[in-house]
Amino acid sequence: MRFFSFHLMPYPALPESYDGPAWVTCPNELFDPAVGHEVYNRYLDELILADELGFDGVCVNEHHQNAYGIMPSPNLMGSILARQTKNAKIAIVGNALPLYDPPTRVAEEFAMIDNISGGRLIAGFVVGGGPEYYSFSMNPAHARERFAEAHEIIMRAWTEPGPFEFIGKHYKLRYVNTWPRPVQQPHPEVWIPGAGSLETMEFVAKHHYAYMGIPYFHISVFDRTFRMFREACEREGYEYDPLQAGWLEPIYVAETDEQARAEYESHFWYFVKRLLPGINISPPGYTSLRSIENILKGAKTFAINLETWDEVVEGQYAIVGSPETVTEKLIESLRRLGTGNLLGLFQLGTLPAHLTKKNLELFATEVMPKLRKEFPEGARVLGDQAAVA
Amino acid sequence: MAGLTEEQVSTQVGKVQVFRGGPAGPGAAGAVPLVYLHSAQGESNGLVLLERLADSFDTVAPVFPGFGESEGIDEIDDVEDAVFHLLDLFDQMGLGAAPVNIVGLSLGGWLAAEIATRYPERIGRLVLVNPAGLYIQGHEIKEIFGRDLDELALELFADQSHPVAVLMHQMASLATSTQGPDIPFEMLRPLLQSQAATAKLGWDPYLHNPKLQRRLYRVTAPTLIVHGAQDGLIPRAHAEAYAEGIADARLVDVEGAAHMLPLEKPDELAALVREFVAA
Repeated sequence: MRFFSFHLMPYPALPESYDGPAWVTCPNELFDPAVGHEVYNRYLDELILADELGFDGVCVNEHHQNAYGIMPSPNLMGSILARQTKNAKIAIVGNALPLYDPPTRVAEEFAMIDNISGGRLIAGFVVGGGPEYYSFSMNPAHARERFAEAHEIIMRAWTEPGPFEFIGKHYKLRYVNTWPRPVQQPHPEVWIPGAGSLETMEFVAKHHYAYMGIPYFHISVFDRTFRMFREACEREGYEYDPLQAGWLEPIYVAETDEQARAEYESHFWYFVKRLLPGINISPPGYTSLRSIENILKGAKTFAINLETWDEVVEGQYAIVGSPETVTEKLIESLRRLGTGNLLGLFQLGTLPAHLTKKNLELFATEVMPKLRKEFPEGARVLGDQAAVA
Repeated sequence: MAGLTEEQVSTQVGKVQVFRGGPAGPGAAGAVPLVYLHSAQGESNGLVLLERLADSFDTVAPVFPGFGESEGIDEIDDVEDAVFHLLDLFDQMGLGAAPVNIVGLSLGGWLAAEIATRYPERIGRLVLVNPAGLYIQGHEIKEIFGRDLDELALELFADQSHPVAVLMHQMASLATSTQGPDIPFEMLRPLLQSQAATAKLGWDPYLHNPKLQRRLYRVTAPTLIVHGAQDGLIPRAHAEAYAEGIADARLVDVEGAAHMLPLEKPDELAALVREFVAA
């Protein structure tokens, strides 16, 4: 098992009076640069702390024009982390490839981070969320085609001697010759986050990349998602490696179950009720019809519809409790999901610095060692029952 | 009353649906065909307006790829491709030899104007109903993608008791129920398909061609521009710009109709078309 600390870098100070979406049209006059200065530095400190506490990696991601995650350029954060962390992998999950033109920009910046960090980059590629296609006025009907071409350009830029020519439908590049080249050869590990789209799973399976399940759904949705991913690998003719799958999950550890809920709950609701609205807009043509049908199966369980803490606990929308409770729940769920990467969200919504720090420390000292013992690296994660089912 | 029959026409991009009918039967000799190009709503099958028009004209209503059962949207990326598809379709149907009359609503009006600027000789008379296609600063077309259906219905219909407006309000209440959307996927499928097709033509630039306005001088057909007085989607300034840019153009306002004027005032629109074509 590998452990990652994932940071969304949320904007924690939306005024009470604002009840609109946190995406695309959320007025930017609500952004207070004084808050920005404080939280950017604080959030970086929290990722650096994870490195010091022995996490295997830290994760950042890309979103635009929103309060959910104020990280339009995860590569800026990744380059800071490349200097300020020592051992952790730096997983940028990911760059929204269709938004970079030409996409060789991604090959360049990722390779820079891999060079600076001495080969610690994990390269994440995403199509970009639905809201991004509004925020960039980019045609969602071309999203998948652009992603496919950009991916090909980047991987060839890293693995083929340049210069070479790439003439596609969307990109026509006469001289692809990326400097620098990545430290990790033939290329950095590639991660692709997905929300249950079949095309994405099949793409990841085909290329032997790793699939990261996007959270905020009932745990049963993840059961199905990772089963579908394992089946996609089987159709490609191989058994998946647990390290090819990652489960992203909000986690909060405190001294007791009662204390954990008391310290965490209001911050979780800020996240769900204030920062999620608007995230799930799906522009026309962005997802294929067969994928929409599959995604809609889980749509009812999307966290935005949550009303009570009991529902949160029952569906494992967040795993919250004492070290014993959290350990027990994680072992049980990881066995069922079979994922070899656990991506914890240890800061969520308005969770303040001191509680985030305590959460990370308790997890690293009280939970992680037990999980490492339970799931030695390289060993099978999936329980037998789930394998049969 | 004349009925329309459905036929399948093979084109370069695939098979497309076409509804056709007229007073002397489909394709009667001598009659100038009247082509109806639908909006992003994909209105065609069972449209009362088409039946009214078919009382007087050899009426041809093609269903654009991505709408209804028409194939081929994967081969169409932009308005340029859309124009070539329509020319191909006209040729396949034998409508290429002599000019045709075209009535187009919104997106269909835009496509009609694109044909008329490029191939003016192929059009006899042109009727543009609440046409999209232009960008007028300060009078932007409202957003159609990802909109709340309750709000959109208010912009599309002057009368909220119109059956399609009622359906939109019902779908809006289903979509926003706290239990999440619970609409059968087969009901959503056509809507998702037609929105994706519209996005291909009109996401960026948004429902316009920046070059169209300065090409309008090329339109030679006598043109009638019809504006729904209560249209909440496309401001009247667009109708005015078309009327100004096209040499032989006249602008008519229809009271009691919004953007979906052909659904709300089929008899009035059919009468306007008859009078205009006969003149």
